[in-house]
Amino acid sequence: MRSNRLGWTLLTPSLVVLGIVGFLPFLFVVWVGFHDWNIFAATRGMIWTGANNYRRLVFDQEFLDALWRTLAYTVTVVVIELSLGFLLAQTLTRQFPGRAFFRTIYVLPLVVAPIAVGATWRLMVIPGFGPIPYFLERWFGIEYRIGTYASHAWATAVLMDVWHWTPFVTLTLLAGLTAIPKEPLEQAMVDGANRWQVFRHLTIPMMMPVILTVVFIRMMDALRVVDEVYMLTNGGPGTATTFIGLHIFRVVFPKTDYGYGSAMSLLVLYFTIVLCWLLFVALSNVGKQKA
Amino acid sequence: MLRHRLIVTLSILVFAAMMLAACPAPAPVAPAAPAPAEGEASWWRTAAESAGCVGVTIRGVSESTPPSNFAKDVLGPAFERDSGIKVELETTSWDQMYDKAIKDMEAGTGIYDFVYIEQDIIYAYLANNYLLNMTKFLADNPNLAAPDFDFGKFTTFIDYFKDAEGNVYGVPMEAFIKIYLYRTDLFGDPEAQAAFKEKYGYDLAPATNYQQYRDNAEFFTQWGKDRGLELWGTTVQAASGHPSSFYEVFETILPSGGVYNWGINMENWKASVENGGTMNSDRAKAAFQFWLDLLPFAPPEATSSTWDEVAASFAAGRAAQGWVYGENAAWIATDPERSKVVGNVGVALPPLADESVLQDAEEGRGYIGYYDGGAFGIPATSKNQACAVLWNQYIGQESVQADWAVAASRVVMNSTFDDPKVQEVDAKTNGYFTLLKEQGHLFAGAPPFPFHATIREVIAPYVYRAIAGELTAAEALDQAAAAVDAELPKLGYGQ
Repeated sequence: MRSNRLGWTLLTPSLVVLGIVGFLPFLFVVWVGFHDWNIFAATRGMIWTGANNYRRLVFDQEFLDALWRTLAYTVTVVVIELSLGFLLAQTLTRQFPGRAFFRTIYVLPLVVAPIAVGATWRLMVIPGFGPIPYFLERWFGIEYRIGTYASHAWATAVLMDVWHWTPFVTLTLLAGLTAIPKEPLEQAMVDGANRWQVFRHLTIPMMMPVILTVVFIRMMDALRVVDEVYMLTNGGPGTATTFIGLHIFRVVFPKTDYGYGSAMSLLVLYFTIVLCWLLFVALSNVGKQKA
Repeated sequence: MLRHRLIVTLSILVFAAMMLAACPAPAPVAPAAPAPAEGEASWWRTAAESAGCVGVTIRGVSESTPPSNFAKDVLGPAFERDSGIKVELETTSWDQMYDKAIKDMEAGTGIYDFVYIEQDIIYAYLANNYLLNMTKFLADNPNLAAPDFDFGKFTTFIDYFKDAEGNVYGVPMEAFIKIYLYRTDLFGDPEAQAAFKEKYGYDLAPATNYQQYRDNAEFFTQWGKDRGLELWGTTVQAASGHPSSFYEVFETILPSGGVYNWGINMENWKASVENGGTMNSDRAKAAFQFWLDLLPFAPPEATSSTWDEVAASFAAGRAAQGWVYGENAAWIATDPERSKVVGNVGVALPPLADESVLQDAEEGRGYIGYYDGGAFGIPATSKNQACAVLWNQYIGQESVQADWAVAASRVVMNSTFDDPKVQEVDAKTNGYFTLLKEQGHLFAGAPPFPFHATIREVIAPYVYRAIAGELTAAEALDQAAAAVDAELPKLGYGQ
């Protein structure tokens, strides 16, 4: 009884802060989502429209396109980062010259703020100023134009995210790999299993909780990417890199369509939760089958 | 041991790098602050004391442009010295500036004591009662009215910052036109002149119409290629995901093609031709297509270029001609540390689709290009209104205008044109200030739309898609006009 009271007492400050900066704004967004509210409209203030904003969303081609674009981007970056991260984590479990140096250097992108990452990459890839287009053109004859070609902008956005976040995936997986017991692996080798069989039937199932965590974190991050891409391409060329976070930002801030933007945010939140849940169920079942 | 040394060395290197990064960059060389007369200096101090402002810090937000940076680096410290009021002016990107100012004023947080009001957003701010009525404030507080400040000294640009009753809500701090810049060395090169005449059958000259502009652009692109130069025929402000490209099309190119006020009919608030607008008219489509067709003759950075990069490209000598915001004219023409084309810059009126556009402008039916500028206004939610009013008057003194004009090629008072310093720069810029003074009336600011930002965001994606080649000019304008016709009734216009 005493420990319960003490627990709640200790938790109270955090809960109050969380309530003020998290829960109340969330409720306000829910409330605004049922209104038409644009501060530059002739009609002042909020006008109750019920579920009209949500109805509009279903037929809003720009919104749906941005959503699909974001999904494709998310799947691409998470798959690449997971594959690369696993490969690097496996490599880092072994001893090789310069390992400590590499581990130190490798995590540096993690300490850079996303907005700075976007700005730095932009400086590197702007034609006429950046070194990447210069050398690609000079050495390989490739005309690299992120402001002109959608595929170039897309690839650069993916590359930038992979550069920024693969170290996080690697570090987390490395921690997982270091923590799994060695005995079952050695026993399987003694019983005649080859390296691939050990990896597929033992390492992967034992790593599944870590993989799940990494995939969830990266997936949620990638679904709401804004600042890096905002700095790099501002969503262009055309709408090639207008991901859903950037689309919502434009609707809410420059366009000041608060009601519709709030409805979009909530639908995307719901979508993210459902996606994570589906993924959790799917990966958990895979893990159980492997075990 | 080796590992330990490596870690220590790396730590030192990282620490040193962080220290170097944290070191402030040397401040730009700015003209000396104006030295006010003894009496004036004491007036600011006395006024600040009477208003309880001595020791107060006022905060402002503005776009990082040459005029704002002059206010921050030169006028702010001078004002602090004279009045005892500290000025913290945050200069940031254009979109961040708006985002911060609007959020502050809408939420009523009172973070900012003065904000940059671009001419195109003033109507929205007035409609929302965001700003302090300076005329009324000074009438109510005559002891705070500075002796060297007078609304009547400003050019007619100040009219943009007045309400229907003539009350002023912002002190103009920048005003300039978007001009046509060209390289005098290239256009004056006898070899280039002969080659041009042979190819096109007429004399090489700064463009006065679209066809001539396109020919010039094509010619100099090929000229650069043939000689292995990093030179293209034109700048194009075509960042394919940034509102700057929308502004170039709708406030520079379409007016030069005879399409005004974004093609929106202000009597019924409709944009499409079938509803009485001109946004998707044949003239608009032709002007937009002309602009899109220039992209092959622009430097590769064009589709990533906002207003800043266009000026940078021209200053780097990468373009033979282009539309450039006038605030950059002075430094491009005179600052050898930032510009490679010093002494080789010509200024002229922008090219037009045909003569009827100039006639429209001269007779007051239209305009040939964009008259840009802004003012510092005081949010109604500011907690230091009196102190901010003093600051606004300080920057609105006649005595500070000439240095400001020389540093940032902006003019907000007629008397500034006659200052010897300004006339000296005028000669170096091949007559930029003269053009502003004598032909400025042919240009106009943004139309008086309270819904400016909202409708811009409706139209802009179609411009971006046209730049990316996803839509033709005609498709983009047809779809944009339809989208505007659908959006305006939602905002309460044209129902």
